[in-house]
Amino acid sequence: MKRRENWRMPKKRKIVFLQRVNNRPMKKIFGLLVFVLCVAPLTMRAQDDPKLTVSAKKQVVVGERFQVVFEANAEGKNFSAPSFDGFTVVGGPFTSTSSSFSMVNGSMSHTVKCTYTFALQAYKEGTFHVGSASLTVKGDKISSEPFDIQVLPDDGSYASTSGGGSSGSNQGQSQGQNTNDPQVSGKDLFLKVIPSKKSVYVGEQIVLTYKLYTKVPVSSLQVDKMPSYAGFWTKDISDNNGGSLRQSSEYVNGTEYTVAEIQRVVVVPQRSGKLDIEPMTIECIAQIRTEGNNRRSNDPFDIFFNDPFFNRNIANVKKELSTANLSIDVKNLPVDKKPNSFAGAVGNYNFKSDIDKTELKTNEAFTLTLTVSGTGNIELLQMPEPNFPPDFEVYDPKITTSANTSVNGLSGTKKAEYLVIPRRAGTFTLAPVEFSFFNPANGSYSSLMSDGYAIEVEKGMGGEGDDGSIYASNQEGIKYLGSDIRHIMTGKAQLKPRHSAFFGTSAYFVALLAMLLAFIVLLLLSKKHEQQKQDTAANRNKKATKVARGRLKKADQYLKVKDQDKFYVEMSQALWGYIADKLGIERSKLSMDTVSEAMKEKNVPDDLTQQFIDTLNNCEFARFAPGSAEEKMDDLYRKGIEVITKAEKVL
Amino acid sequence: MKRYTLLILVILSLAFSVKVYAQQDAERWFEQANAAYNAGSYDTALMLYDQVVATELESVPLYFNMGNAYYKMREYPMAIYYYEKALKIDPSNEDVRTNLAIANLAIVDKIEEVPQSFIVKGWNGLKNAFSGQQWTVLSLVAFALLLVSAFLFLRARRMGMRKLGFFMGLVMLLVFALSVIFAAQLKQASMTEDQAIIMAPTVTVKSTPNEVSVDLFVLHEGTKVEILDHADGWNKIKIGNGSIGWLQADYMRSF
Repeated sequence: MKRRENWRMPKKRKIVFLQRVNNRPMKKIFGLLVFVLCVAPLTMRAQDDPKLTVSAKKQVVVGERFQVVFEANAEGKNFSAPSFDGFTVVGGPFTSTSSSFSMVNGSMSHTVKCTYTFALQAYKEGTFHVGSASLTVKGDKISSEPFDIQVLPDDGSYASTSGGGSSGSNQGQSQGQNTNDPQVSGKDLFLKVIPSKKSVYVGEQIVLTYKLYTKVPVSSLQVDKMPSYAGFWTKDISDNNGGSLRQSSEYVNGTEYTVAEIQRVVVVPQRSGKLDIEPMTIECIAQIRTEGNNRRSNDPFDIFFNDPFFNRNIANVKKELSTANLSIDVKNLPVDKKPNSFAGAVGNYNFKSDIDKTELKTNEAFTLTLTVSGTGNIELLQMPEPNFPPDFEVYDPKITTSANTSVNGLSGTKKAEYLVIPRRAGTFTLAPVEFSFFNPANGSYSSLMSDGYAIEVEKGMGGEGDDGSIYASNQEGIKYLGSDIRHIMTGKAQLKPRHSAFFGTSAYFVALLAMLLAFIVLLLLSKKHEQQKQDTAANRNKKATKVARGRLKKADQYLKVKDQDKFYVEMSQALWGYIADKLGIERSKLSMDTVSEAMKEKNVPDDLTQQFIDTLNNCEFARFAPGSAEEKMDDLYRKGIEVITKAEKVL
Repeated sequence: MKRYTLLILVILSLAFSVKVYAQQDAERWFEQANAAYNAGSYDTALMLYDQVVATELESVPLYFNMGNAYYKMREYPMAIYYYEKALKIDPSNEDVRTNLAIANLAIVDKIEEVPQSFIVKGWNGLKNAFSGQQWTVLSLVAFALLLVSAFLFLRARRMGMRKLGFFMGLVMLLVFALSVIFAAQLKQASMTEDQAIIMAPTVTVKSTPNEVSVDLFVLHEGTKVEILDHADGWNKIKIGNGSIGWLQADYMRSF
């Protein structure tokens, strides 16, 4: 038979496996069958008086588990067990009944055997008394003998004195030992947890391997309590191909053990300090070969059945195993020289970026891929984020993780794929992305840069295009990120004495009064000015006749001396001056038209106006056309006096 | 006689220079306080601002910055108090209004204001469009323009100018009257302390100025009240929703 078997491992971790030492019930049944066939026609013989016997070890060691077996040779009821003071009842009573027929010299005997088995564990030293158990058989109460059990201190020697262990390789030598309650020593079967490291940084992975070391065959094992990993992120990386455990052989202190790897776990501490890992507890059933001499009868077949070949009695010993306490010393990551881009990655990584195209048109997509690969906790790894220009439409990255588990822990690759659509034409640069990690192997930080890219975006068809209307619907209101009071006024203090309002002060009223005074003064001045203007006009009006008369007198003198030139000058000035003064026309504006207009305004009759204008005309004409007759001068003189006299009446 | 005149002149100029120096000091403190505020040491800033206040000088920036410093120190009632003081000087200041609204969100009481008629609202809105100082200046300008219009009306030779003078004069008369009324009201308000901010964390407003009288309602710090009357250490107050009661004057800070 081969040395390595596969340990079956169903879901509940109940493990059953067959080994060479296994029971061979077929042979026993075969023997029994022969026996029954032989004795069947024979009469039966009455059985012996009912008895209740007890069998137990007289000496045990603290912590040892042992069995106390009460055996009755008749069927009974109302079994009452004694109180096992000083011991812990680990299991029981396990009741089993068997009956057998035997024929001796033609007489047949029927043997009934009822056993009540208790599994006890000693927990303190001393000698303890175990009372009697009782059983009612056909109305009679039978009792067992009380007995004492001595509990010895645990000097680590009980394993050898009890000596129940036997493995497949040395089972032949253990035949000399004869005991009813076999034991498995801690040296034959134990559970161990092996951490890959005991002192790590936060985020560094540790591989914990739980191994079962055994020298005895183990029929089944069941994990009672999974270890709890407070403060750790864990991942089971057990290599359970098809539900069987990996087995190997290992030498420990010169002894060969069969080793089964029960579980392999990657744990990653999430905080610093001394973190305890609670032990794992498993329960397994070790199979120990015992001498099958339990049947107390003098049956001659016994020899036959007790033949080692035929009767390999196997005791299934339940054993609870747990690992030692394990504490991991977790160090904080060093604070100094921590790169800004560090986001908690611990391990050893490579970092690269990849882009599918760098020349494209607007509204076409390109893909930027960032890849981190290496050993470390790749599943919890946070990918660095690239910065895209604001006119790029960026979709949430597609992140794929492929993690490999190996004996050394976790490794793998994490990819972040960004689908990016540039919406506007131009040349853009994608800045390199920095990824930092802490390498626990050399205790330092490393930063890796990806490539930077220049992206050439040409104007494509449609889209943003010519009118930009596609963006009209994309407009967004301003996003307010928070609200705060407005900042202080930092300009001039503009300090003024308290209650210094200008309104209502005497200065205010003085200002009002001053303005009013100014107004009044202005008004008065304006009025006076007007008055003066009017005064001059009135003066002229008043003096007009007088001036005209003077001029006419002078003209009359010139007429008498026949001084033509001077006469016309005086005549003209008399007429013009009179009408200008009378009508208030400035000399500079004086002309025939202004005169006739002004006269019209003053409601002078048209014929008079015409006459006056005619006289003026005649005068001007005669003045520049000399050599005219004397009577003409007389006529003009008379007409001049006439119109002035007429005008005097009207104006 | 001449000697006395000289003495009086010296004393007067000294008094004037002292006043000028005080103002310069205050302005320096103000700048230092602003620097402290910008550096985030708000208590230092407040200490300096308080020094400025102690010089009996005041301004909108001073009270506004003090309100901000108190706000940053999470002393919201004091912040509201100083914002209100700043608003009293210049009811039209947008920054002060904004910060007061924000500070009012941080206090416990939320009082539904009694809705005002649109006339009162319009009147107050118009009044608060300028500060008292601005209304005063406006009244002077309006008066000047009124006189100009009157002059035009009275003295213009052309009919159009006289008409213009008439209507402009009417408008200016209205503007002058309004600005005088507003300036007077605002000055009156600035001279009297008829409003207050509750400073005690929780106070119970009583029905009479007596500790044993009926409890009417509870107010919390930061709430603005109007003071209607005084009676030996008690103030008759009115809150925004129109409720009236008596409260000990120690619990509030009037402005």
